[in-house]
Amino acid sequence: MRARSASAIVAAAVFAVMMVGASIELQAVRDRFYPPRELDEDTLYIQSGPMMRRLTVAYNALAADLYWIRAIQYYGDGKRRLASQARVPDPPPMIAAPTSDAYSMLYPMLDLTTSLDPRFNIAYRFGAVFLAEPYPSGPGRPDLAVKLLEKGLRERPDKWEYMEDIGFVHYWYDHDYRAAAEWFRKAGEMPGAPWWLRSLAATTLAQGGDRQSSRTMWEAIRQSSENDWLRLDAERRLLQLQALDQIDQLQAEIDKYARRAGAPATNWSTLVRARVFPGMPVDPTGTPYALDGGRVTVDPSSRLWPLPQEPRRADSRPPS
Amino acid sequence: MPALATFELTKDYAIGFWRKRPYRALDGLTLEIAPGEVFGFLGPNGAGKTTTLKLLMQLVFPTSGRAEIFGRPLGDLSVKRRIGYLPEHPYFYDYLTAEELLTYFAGLFGYAGAERRARAARLLDEVGIGAERRMQLRKFSKGMLQRVGIAQAILNEPELVIFDEPMSGLDPLGRRDVRSLILRLRDRGCTVFFSSHVLSDAEALCDRVAILARGRLAAMGRLTDMLPFRARGWDLVVAGVRDETVAALGTRVRRAVRLSDGHYMLDLPPDSPPERLVGELTAGGAHLVSLNPIRQTLEEFFVEHVTTPAAAGAPRDVEPPHGRRP
Amino acid sequence: MKATAWIAINVFRESVRDKVLYNLVFFAILLIGASYLIGQLTAGQDVKIIKDLGLAATSIFGVFIAVFIGIGLVSKEVERRSVYSLLAKPIHRYQLLIGKYCGLVLTLIVNVSIMAAALYVVLAYMSWGVPPAAARIWDAPALDPALLKATALLLAELTIVTAIALLFSTFSTPMLSAAMTFGLYIVGHFTNDLRNFADLVDSPAAARLARGLSWALPNLAQFDVRADVVHGLPVSFGYMGLASLYAAVYVAMLLAISVLIFSRRDFK
Repeated sequence: MRARSASAIVAAAVFAVMMVGASIELQAVRDRFYPPRELDEDTLYIQSGPMMRRLTVAYNALAADLYWIRAIQYYGDGKRRLASQARVPDPPPMIAAPTSDAYSMLYPMLDLTTSLDPRFNIAYRFGAVFLAEPYPSGPGRPDLAVKLLEKGLRERPDKWEYMEDIGFVHYWYDHDYRAAAEWFRKAGEMPGAPWWLRSLAATTLAQGGDRQSSRTMWEAIRQSSENDWLRLDAERRLLQLQALDQIDQLQAEIDKYARRAGAPATNWSTLVRARVFPGMPVDPTGTPYALDGGRVTVDPSSRLWPLPQEPRRADSRPPS
Repeated sequence: MPALATFELTKDYAIGFWRKRPYRALDGLTLEIAPGEVFGFLGPNGAGKTTTLKLLMQLVFPTSGRAEIFGRPLGDLSVKRRIGYLPEHPYFYDYLTAEELLTYFAGLFGYAGAERRARAARLLDEVGIGAERRMQLRKFSKGMLQRVGIAQAILNEPELVIFDEPMSGLDPLGRRDVRSLILRLRDRGCTVFFSSHVLSDAEALCDRVAILARGRLAAMGRLTDMLPFRARGWDLVVAGVRDETVAALGTRVRRAVRLSDGHYMLDLPPDSPPERLVGELTAGGAHLVSLNPIRQTLEEFFVEHVTTPAAAGAPRDVEPPHGRRP
Repeated sequence: MKATAWIAINVFRESVRDKVLYNLVFFAILLIGASYLIGQLTAGQDVKIIKDLGLAATSIFGVFIAVFIGIGLVSKEVERRSVYSLLAKPIHRYQLLIGKYCGLVLTLIVNVSIMAAALYVVLAYMSWGVPPAAARIWDAPALDPALLKATALLLAELTIVTAIALLFSTFSTPMLSAAMTFGLYIVGHFTNDLRNFADLVDSPAAARLARGLSWALPNLAQFDVRADVVHGLPVSFGYMGLASLYAAVYVAMLLAISVLIFSRRDFK
């Protein structure tokens, strides 16, 4: 009797496991024949922060966390999707021009996150970086980045970090060095702000946009950086600056070769055979440079791609 | 000073959901119970017995009238300390064991830790469920719960116990146990006030009874003094008796029914004592199977004495009423 | 007094046996699972999110225990008639009520304290080995003692929620009691909105009504300092004192009404 009930239990358990397996397998089969519709992540049912605050009653902060996680994933997904698509249009889209709706929900999500938790520090700071990133790594909306940070400043007017970040957005994405310097100055005057912000303000105003001042700035960020993500980003920026220097040198050699040969070089092997270079030149991450119609660029498969827009200053100095 | 006294105790319940109208569950009950008495509170279901007991325990509050226990008003904690109460169909906490329940209740009387456990163990033994003390109450049968209920009611060695239908849900063995427990309580000097709808329970135990019908007191006194409950004859069953012997009894039996060979049921009139006849028959080689008094049941009493034709059901062939009317 | 304490202890014991504390296991699993997942997902803010999640879960579990056990405290005894033999013992009805209430509050204190301790353990694990430079981006240290302030005020809030559940259960059915208690819990977080509403409406009668309600209904939003604590903003002891005093007064009021109803009730 006992033995029979034990074997019945075993049989039931085996049956249950088999059914679980079958249900998983069936889903896989179904997805193969009827591919599921892409999840429409671009829908935000409720876009009003105050409304959402009421709906989440006493649990605003938790809701903010959920929207923040969703925003990160949304941004990461968009970036991955665009990277896996056909090569981006050439020439790269202009800064500050909304080019795609791939990231269209990013700002509403960040806005909602920060409305639910108005002191969500990282949502402002990282969110601004996401928004300002040029297409295709981001929506290329420095205006929205500044808007988000200003919202944070309204909540916490003493946060020099937000001012510093607004300054960076102006510096890097708008190339508005006057505005950047103004924000750096404001940030430097706040209690607790690091010493170098004031000198940064001065340098920016004097020689904004040149590689050396950019390098100084990113180096400062790298060293003062409070978290891995910002530090790694700063390191990448420094490598990009290094790549820009290398490209200038390479380009000079190639131009020299073109003048000598009377025709532009179309591929690296020609140049290597002509002993212009000892081998195929690689960027600071180890990825070979691309040679496109006689112009050296980083390869789109490189971590450094796309390179920042070079400053458009009339008095741009020759590369060092 | 009576152990318990009620004065014109009256309780109206509001019934109906929307337009509530009063329904009188108890109407002007006045009674007194002397210390040391075993008092039966009889009546059919719905007569107001439970309402009365709940009024005494202040589980409901009277519409008018009052009651006293040991000469003090109800609800006095010093009174509550001296009484015990068994509710009708007692129910306790599913997840406690019998022992834990009694320990919990003992704590409410203020007994210290060791005393609590000692009392719980002693009482569970006394009501005959000592072996099941570690069992959770949800696994208890109705009869076992009734025993737990009795145990918790006498936890504090009360001077007065109020039992609501203590025999209900019990098998014959259990009824006998409860009967002997009530007698033990009486011997200890405890006053016992219990309700029942079964006459024989009261008969074996009570000094006095009160009979309640439709909220009113219908009769009160010794059962043997109440005319309707006197024996109206005897039912005698004998075996091994010869047919001629029975035939020779003549008018000494009202009726003789032959059940089987040598097996007779004899209907004896109430005026002649049955002992002599039994003696004669057994001397003649017969043996006694059973001897029972024939008397009115409570139900029959109510059919006759309370004008509730609808609720009473079909009347049976009984003698014309000759008891006092309420 | 002794009997009241004895009843309270037994409520606690019963809730332990009723597997109420199992919620702590869910809490721990939730927290550990979330800390693992969130660590994979977001950069740098995992400590903030774990604090949010831990405190919110503590609050949600607490409210559910307060409501679902609170509504059964007395009504279950009445419904199952166990109150008959209980009230025959030398106790007053109010002692039963207060004892039951204190027992549930005791259960909540133990429960919430264990959850707070578990939160600290998870936070300690997460912040283990994080360099001070990286920790600087956090608004508040990982093992911030101020979390205890949020927990304490949550407990103050739960004492009110429990008293509301108890009050409803003295005269209403469990389902209705649960619905009304949850309703009041939500409304209790909007009393400030109600006050603003009073300023917006034109009708003076409606304004008076809204204003009156806004003051009379339990103001529960004041007990939610979780966001402030997580962002490292100060929560003064003066504020905590006043909020706790409010809770005490409001609970006393609710218990008084409960006792009033319960003491006069017929157990038919």
